[in-house]
Amino acid sequence: MEAKLKTLRQTCLKLSNICQDGNLQSAFSCMDTIWCLYDKIMNWSKETADDDARDRFVISKGQATLALYAVLIEKGMFAMSDFQQMGSFNSRFCIQTDITKFPEGGVENSAGSLGHGFPFAAGLAYAAKLKKNGSRVYVLTGDGEFCEGTMWETCLFASAKKLDNLCVIIDDNHSVGAMIDIGDMKAKLESFGFDVHMADGHDLEELENAFNGFEDNGRPKAVIASTVRGYGSGTLTENDIWFHKAPDDGELDMLCREVQEF
Amino acid sequence: MRRAFLNRVDKMIREEEDTVYFTVDIGMWAIRDLLEKYPERATNVGIYEDGMFGIAAGLAAGGYIPTIFGIQPYLVERTLEQIKLDFAYQGLGVNVIGTGAAVDYPKYGYSHYCAEDAGVLKMIPGVEVLTPGTANEFISLFNQAYRDGKPTFFRVSDHPNKEYDIDVTLGKANVIKRGGGATVIAVSVMLDMVMEACSDLDVTVLYYTSLAPFDADTLKREYNGGKIVVCEPHYSGTLDYDIIDALAGRSVQIEHIGFPREIFRNYGTYEDKMEYYGLNTEHIRAALAT
Repeated sequence: MEAKLKTLRQTCLKLSNICQDGNLQSAFSCMDTIWCLYDKIMNWSKETADDDARDRFVISKGQATLALYAVLIEKGMFAMSDFQQMGSFNSRFCIQTDITKFPEGGVENSAGSLGHGFPFAAGLAYAAKLKKNGSRVYVLTGDGEFCEGTMWETCLFASAKKLDNLCVIIDDNHSVGAMIDIGDMKAKLESFGFDVHMADGHDLEELENAFNGFEDNGRPKAVIASTVRGYGSGTLTENDIWFHKAPDDGELDMLCREVQEF
Repeated sequence: MRRAFLNRVDKMIREEEDTVYFTVDIGMWAIRDLLEKYPERATNVGIYEDGMFGIAAGLAAGGYIPTIFGIQPYLVERTLEQIKLDFAYQGLGVNVIGTGAAVDYPKYGYSHYCAEDAGVLKMIPGVEVLTPGTANEFISLFNQAYRDGKPTFFRVSDHPNKEYDIDVTLGKANVIKRGGGATVIAVSVMLDMVMEACSDLDVTVLYYTSLAPFDADTLKREYNGGKIVVCEPHYSGTLDYDIIDALAGRSVQIEHIGFPREIFRNYGTYEDKMEYYGLNTEHIRAALAT
């Protein structure tokens, strides 16, 4: 694993340790996707974080917000020192996002309840289309999140309104394996009029190729990123107690070491 | 009132490029030319509420003023979490115009009735709940609210006041009549009925079209210690918190002329329901007489 991806995961661990909460398995599974978007794909920088024509990243699977914060720290939007009180009573930062605390930008949506970020992203993409400002909107969802009806309502709308500037990334970390059988996601999305690319969600080159492989053809985009919950740490991958658990100081050292040696 | 709204939307979309309109498959005929000429900003999205609210929130975040027209129970109760999270929590604005409440579709059953609307919406901080009594009042309130960046819900009625057409202000109650006895709070389309019932009575009549924000100051100022009779075209007691809070520290007797908190399993006409549930002059006079 690239050194940068290790650093990002170690940041997630430190943030989870500070606020004593978090869904580290989920953050680790989509870590590489978010980094790829911010580092290689999106027209975004901390200097243009409030520019109306910027590309936007919407986190629909809010339980992975630690991963987003790690990327934004790496990109200079925030400093690690901003997070020293993370999770405390008046902190700007916690397990989910609250956009009213970020008037200068950097966070695009208030996350928490699933099935909300994707329609919100479609509205942002539609606004960009109306303005013809070239802005693209990337929205990260979980695979299990697609059980919500609003996700499919959004697919209908995005296709009907030809939102080819909207890209939904499904972090397919096999949550639905434990739920009802959702069937063939690629075929389903294609039947709704999406261009769909598959990628190994832990291979930056594959991800980059998937995002760059789309055309401005009037069809909304989807990337199904095949991922592993907890990827980057044997402990997180193997033990599902880490679905919702924060490391204490000893576990933090152990997990950081594990990530370093991955 | 519906026609006045649709005319206003027609003008808004034509003249204001940062506005977007969605109808949930109703009222298309009156604006068919608009829907054809401005397909990007005026769309019949179909039977589609939850996701539509999220999309509208995205449009609001992208700098647009979204307006949605639909049937009240689906706009309010089906979408409650979208109202709470997508708009209220994120601090984004939308205009939602709902028809049908409380019993304007009297033959369609409880699925189409919505006596809960104001009560449900008022539980979410920052949401504006506006219930004009006439078409002019609707236009006035719409013009005051539609660009204020807040989630604003308008209840449009097919049974407006005919005698009274008031110059209303968002967030303010109107003093229609001052008297020495009871205070009558007339909400929205109840004003005609209230004034008919109170024509020869020495009472104060306050007219409320803004249910949220609620004008506590006017009630506090005008209330003279007598009984309060609330005449409300939704579930009885919807405004009780606001009334008690406005008159904190004072002992208040409140009586209600409104829909009882039960599931309506009847059909018939609008008038049938108003009679059956006692939203009539006879009951208002009886409440004031005791």
